[in-house]
Amino acid sequence: MKKRMTGAEILLESLIAEGVDTLFGYPGGQILTVYDKLYDYSDRLNHVLVRHEQGAIHAAQGYARATSRPGVVMVTSGPGATNVITGVADSMIDSTPVIVIAGQVGTALLGSDAFQETDVVGMTRPIDKWTFQIRRAEDVAPAVAKAFHIAATGRPGPVVLDFTRDAQVGEAEFEYRKCSSMRSYVPEKEISVEAVETAAKLIDEAERPLVVYGQGVLLSHAEKQLQDFLKKGGIPAASTLLGLSALPSDFPYYLGMAGMHGNIAANMMTQRCDVLVAVGMRFDDRVTGKVSEYARQAKVIHIDIDETEIGKIIPVEVGIAGDAAKVLEMLTARIRFAFHDEWRLTARGYFEVEDREVMAPELRPGAGPLNMGEVVAKVSELSGGDAIVVTDVGQNQMSSARYSRFTRSRSFISSGGLGTMGFGLPAAIGAKLGRPDRQVCLFVGDGGLQMTIQELGTIMQTGAAVKIVLLDNNWLGNVRQWQELFYDERYSQTRMMNPDYSKIAEAYGIACRTVERREELDDAVRKMLDSPQAFILDAHIREQGMVYPMIPAGRRVDEIMLNKGKWFEENGQS
Amino acid sequence: MDRASRMHIITVYSENQIGLLCSISGIFARRNIDIDSLTVFPSEFPGIYRFTFRLSVNEETAERLVRIIEKNVEVLKAFCFRSNEVWDSEHETVAAYLREHMNNNQ
Repeated sequence: MKKRMTGAEILLESLIAEGVDTLFGYPGGQILTVYDKLYDYSDRLNHVLVRHEQGAIHAAQGYARATSRPGVVMVTSGPGATNVITGVADSMIDSTPVIVIAGQVGTALLGSDAFQETDVVGMTRPIDKWTFQIRRAEDVAPAVAKAFHIAATGRPGPVVLDFTRDAQVGEAEFEYRKCSSMRSYVPEKEISVEAVETAAKLIDEAERPLVVYGQGVLLSHAEKQLQDFLKKGGIPAASTLLGLSALPSDFPYYLGMAGMHGNIAANMMTQRCDVLVAVGMRFDDRVTGKVSEYARQAKVIHIDIDETEIGKIIPVEVGIAGDAAKVLEMLTARIRFAFHDEWRLTARGYFEVEDREVMAPELRPGAGPLNMGEVVAKVSELSGGDAIVVTDVGQNQMSSARYSRFTRSRSFISSGGLGTMGFGLPAAIGAKLGRPDRQVCLFVGDGGLQMTIQELGTIMQTGAAVKIVLLDNNWLGNVRQWQELFYDERYSQTRMMNPDYSKIAEAYGIACRTVERREELDDAVRKMLDSPQAFILDAHIREQGMVYPMIPAGRRVDEIMLNKGKWFEENGQS
Repeated sequence: MDRASRMHIITVYSENQIGLLCSISGIFARRNIDIDSLTVFPSEFPGIYRFTFRLSVNEETAERLVRIIEKNVEVLKAFCFRSNEVWDSEHETVAAYLREHMNNNQ
């Protein structure tokens, strides 16, 4: 039976109908009516009160990435809405399903410069998947239904609902109908069998095939299909930053991460393969280095659900638009069994060089200050590779990506495309609230932590047991690294004074331990992991630490810096 | 593929949504492409608007722009052709698309 209710109530009922139980938000004038109704729904909707709207959207992103369900954000108009813009852009470029509900002034006041009025539609339209202004109560339920359909299907992304006051207070009949299709939006087209067959033939003919996969594998739940494909074809595979954890780190055909700070094997084999199969990735410049010299010798097969990605950066021999799981299944059925043992074993030489030249000094230095990689590797070892690793942006992110080992899928959450400092802490809170059953470890630098440090208040209030590993070096480390290598050691505005984090932790009632010496690390990490509550491990690490290997921006991916002044040479391996 | 910039016409069939024009022109503006002329009017299909943009780009860019525009949630179909070409099948292509997707709830 249809029931008459206000737009505010319809919104909450619609969210419940979509299976939402958690939202992240911050109240304010033009969303007050909804918050008033929310008071009556507190038994069904868990609202997480953040400390800044940016925290709300990053938390929703962390939630979405950990659970594979859309994250929901609720904020007020004006500054509430503009404060989520960074997270909207971040969700767009990293394909994260997020639904933002932003209050808006009444329709009669639109365009009048009313208090806390801003053009949310105009601001978010270029950076989100869909924006819609809800002007009448009867439009609320259909708008929410479309929002969930659009955010979660095809290539996922953020949707912004600009919720005017008229629509909140107005009344309408409520009847919820989920949206499963729209005539103007066809997220998945039929997969071209012809393209799949051409691709299968190329793969069968290849002597040195290589797969580079991205987050698309996680988004389409294609982990098993990817493994089956690699096993049958005997194909080695490298991950992008956001593809990490889609294959377990000990998977025999796994080469590690490709790109700027990726593994030597992944990058060198990109330049040596004869067929490159790209799955659910978009050839970001951090992956390709100098685009015109990227895998030029290879025939490229590109699989992506977003057609516009195919051929955007790298010319392709075959483009297959479609869901990665389905395409991989079709390909696996068509390719021949193959081994490519000799080709796959070439990775070993690269692993040895990397271990000797890069990993040994980083992970097993013996003396001197703690290295960033050592801390990451210790957390990974003692957590059994079972934790969800959340990172901020910069050296902490690259070290976490390089030295975390994964046993389970959906275990790496990071701001990839936009590179948003301050993402880490709120994203970790969202991930933990979405997956309370899993250990969540955040790796964050002292710069990034201070960008959203107010969210420690959210931890205090929710009790989210996030394990915060603060890689604390008193520098904006990644920028400092570039200044050291490419800007004549002119350290412009990268030296940073830090507060006493143990006092900050204490003020928020969060346990904290400071570690400086190598001998203490094991015990401190164990204490952190064993703690049932949130914990800050303030690791004082080498101030001038560097992340290697590194392909300097604009260089070919085989131009790899092993450390300062030393470049990888192909014949140098043995 | 022809790399030289030439006059192209891009036509877009879309739901009548406020701001969509802004969104499509933003796609050009972001890539520093000038619009030489623009018309918007109701198409021969009820409830669907037709936008026509004339701009000077190379063929590859024109084709990529069409795919980016089509990616917009409210766009049904987009086409591009050289200004001296006449393409008779545009109407039929949209009609066929609508026959396939018309019953999708809106």
